[in-house]
Amino acid sequence: MTVFFLLSVPVLLVGAGLTLALRSNRARALAALASQAVATLLVLMSLLPTLRGQAALEVVWPWPSPIHSIAFRVDALGAFFLAWSLPMTCLGTLYAVGYLQRYFREGRNGGWHFALLNLVCLSFVLIYSVQNSLVFLLGWEIAAVAAWLLVIWDYGNQKIRFAGFNYLVSTHIGLFVLVAAFMLLHSETRSMDFVSFGRFLSRPTPLRGTIFLLLGVSFALKSAFFPFHTWLPRAHAAAPAHVSALMSGVIHKAGLFAFLRFTLLMGKPEEWMGWSVLCFGLLSAFFGIIYTTTQRDLKRLLGYSSTENVGIAAIGFGIGYLGWAWGVPALLVCGFAGGLLHILNHALFKCLLFYGAGSVYRATHTVDIERLGGLAKRLPVTATLFLIGALAIAALPPLNGFVSELLVYSALLSGRAPTGQANILLIAFAAVLAFVGAVSALSMTRAFGLAFLGSPRDATVHEGEEAPASMWLPMALHALGVLAFGLVPQLALGAISPTLELFALGHDSSAARATVAPLVLANPLLALGLATAGGLAWYLGRSARRSPTWGCGYTAISPRMQYTGSSFSEHFIRLFETFLPSARRERLPEEVFPQQASHLGTHHFDAVERRTFEMLRQAEDLIAHASERIPEQSRFAFAAGLVALVIIGALVLGATGP
Amino acid sequence: MTLAWFANFGALLVMPVVLMGVIGRVKSRWSGRKGPPILQLAYDLQRLARKRPTYSTTTTVVFRVAPHLFLVTSLCSGAIAPLLGSRPIVSFPFDFVWFAYIWAFGRVALMLAALDVGSSFEGMGAAREAVFSSILEPALFLVMGALSFLGGHRALHKIATLRLQAGAPPAVWLLAIAALLIALQVETSRMPVDDPSTHLELTMVHEVMVLDHSGPDLAAIQLGSAIKVFVGCSVIATLLNPWAGSAGLLCGAANLGLCVAVAAFLGTVESLVARLKLRAVPQYIAVALACGGVALLATIWRAGGPK
Repeated sequence: MTVFFLLSVPVLLVGAGLTLALRSNRARALAALASQAVATLLVLMSLLPTLRGQAALEVVWPWPSPIHSIAFRVDALGAFFLAWSLPMTCLGTLYAVGYLQRYFREGRNGGWHFALLNLVCLSFVLIYSVQNSLVFLLGWEIAAVAAWLLVIWDYGNQKIRFAGFNYLVSTHIGLFVLVAAFMLLHSETRSMDFVSFGRFLSRPTPLRGTIFLLLGVSFALKSAFFPFHTWLPRAHAAAPAHVSALMSGVIHKAGLFAFLRFTLLMGKPEEWMGWSVLCFGLLSAFFGIIYTTTQRDLKRLLGYSSTENVGIAAIGFGIGYLGWAWGVPALLVCGFAGGLLHILNHALFKCLLFYGAGSVYRATHTVDIERLGGLAKRLPVTATLFLIGALAIAALPPLNGFVSELLVYSALLSGRAPTGQANILLIAFAAVLAFVGAVSALSMTRAFGLAFLGSPRDATVHEGEEAPASMWLPMALHALGVLAFGLVPQLALGAISPTLELFALGHDSSAARATVAPLVLANPLLALGLATAGGLAWYLGRSARRSPTWGCGYTAISPRMQYTGSSFSEHFIRLFETFLPSARRERLPEEVFPQQASHLGTHHFDAVERRTFEMLRQAEDLIAHASERIPEQSRFAFAAGLVALVIIGALVLGATGP
Repeated sequence: MTLAWFANFGALLVMPVVLMGVIGRVKSRWSGRKGPPILQLAYDLQRLARKRPTYSTTTTVVFRVAPHLFLVTSLCSGAIAPLLGSRPIVSFPFDFVWFAYIWAFGRVALMLAALDVGSSFEGMGAAREAVFSSILEPALFLVMGALSFLGGHRALHKIATLRLQAGAPPAVWLLAIAALLIALQVETSRMPVDDPSTHLELTMVHEVMVLDHSGPDLAAIQLGSAIKVFVGCSVIATLLNPWAGSAGLLCGAANLGLCVAVAAFLGTVESLVARLKLRAVPQYIAVALACGGVALLATIWRAGGPK
């Protein structure tokens, strides 16, 4: 079995090599797809026992000093992530074939792109299985650089290069923090092995909290938690649709995976850790979702919604932590079950939505929802599938988003915390989650309603055709997953149950099953009711009369009079303008008969990003100012040189000392 | 058991019409008119159901289907609510979360239908509905969370049977009722949040969303809204009902009577109060939010621990 698993690495590498060597884009795509499919099959075959809840897969590779050996160990957690990451990346590659067709026709070479997608798969195999921090960092870096190169596919555009660079810098800041944490651990354990890290972390030392915070920040940057999310909307708007989908749905789940991996290594957490994860998740969910209401770029909107959804997963993990620290198994189980399931659910519907956005972009050459409209008639397949994803991401029953959110709610509202105050706080958090749910319904209604319904707002928008099979097939498969996990919730719970057992620590995980059990009947019945009513209405409405929309007596109606995206969210933005700053550019009419044309434009920017850039500029000014003064006055230069010399001397002496 | 089931089902079919009639009657009485018959809604529905609908050429299948999906979600919520003050048709732990989200489903369906016609008015109503519900939803969860924590129950009908005698601080109980009344006014678009009888598109919320629906579709929306009124009233009635939870004839009758009383109260408020300015509506909903928050804080002084 282990042979199959390890074989996937050369298969992916050979595939990547082939994509570079082959002559036509069709052959390159085939090589990438075939190698990924084979690797996926190999990995899944070798992981079948682990996925069924049996023993973990273990291999140790001997390696020259100073590493000695590299241990691979795929437990239920790694197997769970691999089981959906690899097939979804494979579907993303299939989508790329259709999506990039336009570029291929212009003669672009897709070889590098497909090779990078293979490397992304390779990074999953490494990150989700390896037990050695150096190889882990290697996989981490492969994923980061590959994602960067994938993002800048359209590198001719300066904006896209900037977004890519922004992402590259952010992800490396995260890498530095991660390296710092690993170095601290290495200095304490004299080992690069996760097992010895785990032995150190499970003891209550003062360093444990510091390392927890360092790791937390690094993983939060990877998964784009608030306030480390600023790179994400830019990168998602710039990248090709399949890359956005894979980054948001699959690649950046590695941050949450690493968080869970270190949770398992660390063992029983302290209470403050639980509260901080919970609050962090709550902040992400809150800010992520309110930012979606201001976006007019469909892909930026979906990007912010990723911040919201990882936040919801973190809320689940936070309660799991608290339940663990308090010794309340029901909280532990429901929290982790909700978080784990939400990761998978998010991967399903977020990829679906990004693919939908890509299909819109392919047909219209824009994703600006203020210019779109009426696409449901031209792109019926995309519209249907996008609607399923939108309803699921708003956590509406009977779809899958509701199942994981119900688990999180059940933990928040259970009243099982040891103190009254803690219970009250958790209930208040549930209310915030309810707010997040309602705003997400607003945002998704806005996104779908404006882009796909009504009539086209802008006559200059390109009128392309419906997506080809290579694009709608991945979408349909994701939609199928969304429906299956919603209508058959026991399937969803079955998918996470071996992983859940790792966290449940021998406790009964029936609390999660009991929470979901009513949905087993309720969701299909609701779906049946909805389907019957909808079908009947559709059937009976065929003979109806048709006439133009009533204009309240006004006869010269034009599509420009429709409600727009900014007018739809204007009321909401005004309520939350403290958090949603905007820039206004206007020239209002002045006299009774204005001589000049007037205009008004509002632009919503990301407050965190704006503040970061401001701070960077201030720091730059400060340093520039100081460095100008040093050469001016020889005393400063002398003092600075002396200080540097002393520090270097101290370091050298410290390194050679006992 | 089956008898109670049928009684619930019967109430779900009959009471929405009656309550709308009661509200209409009370409003008429306050303005010195005789008023329509109690069963006016039934006649209206019958008339609408016979008509052939007209669809805008802009619309897609979403517009056709949405009203009926809304009706189904209303009916499903009726299956969970304690219509007769005791065990409802269906009940499970955390069913109130499901309840809140299927109402959200119905709302989303109507909002999408509103955007589907591509008119400049209906989007307005949809946007307002979405904003109001985003503030209201946390208030509902605060109230339900507080009551559930206080009684140690997790199913809606048991949460709602919390009574003063159980040692609950009266503040929690009163605040919960106040918050739920505001929630009822918002969700069912009654005064002072929304004026269901106005005909100025610029100021309407719910009505402006359904401007272009006609025939059986409009009937589905009207029936769905009426069911929502009944379901909301029944939750408040169960909180008020001194015999709630006893599953007897007395309890059921008292609950239906209290539902009528709550509906009469809604009608009275509607007759005496003017509609709030749209900008002020979020503040009014924030009162519900504050009530919920204070109710939650007040549970600290509860008598007895969670079960």
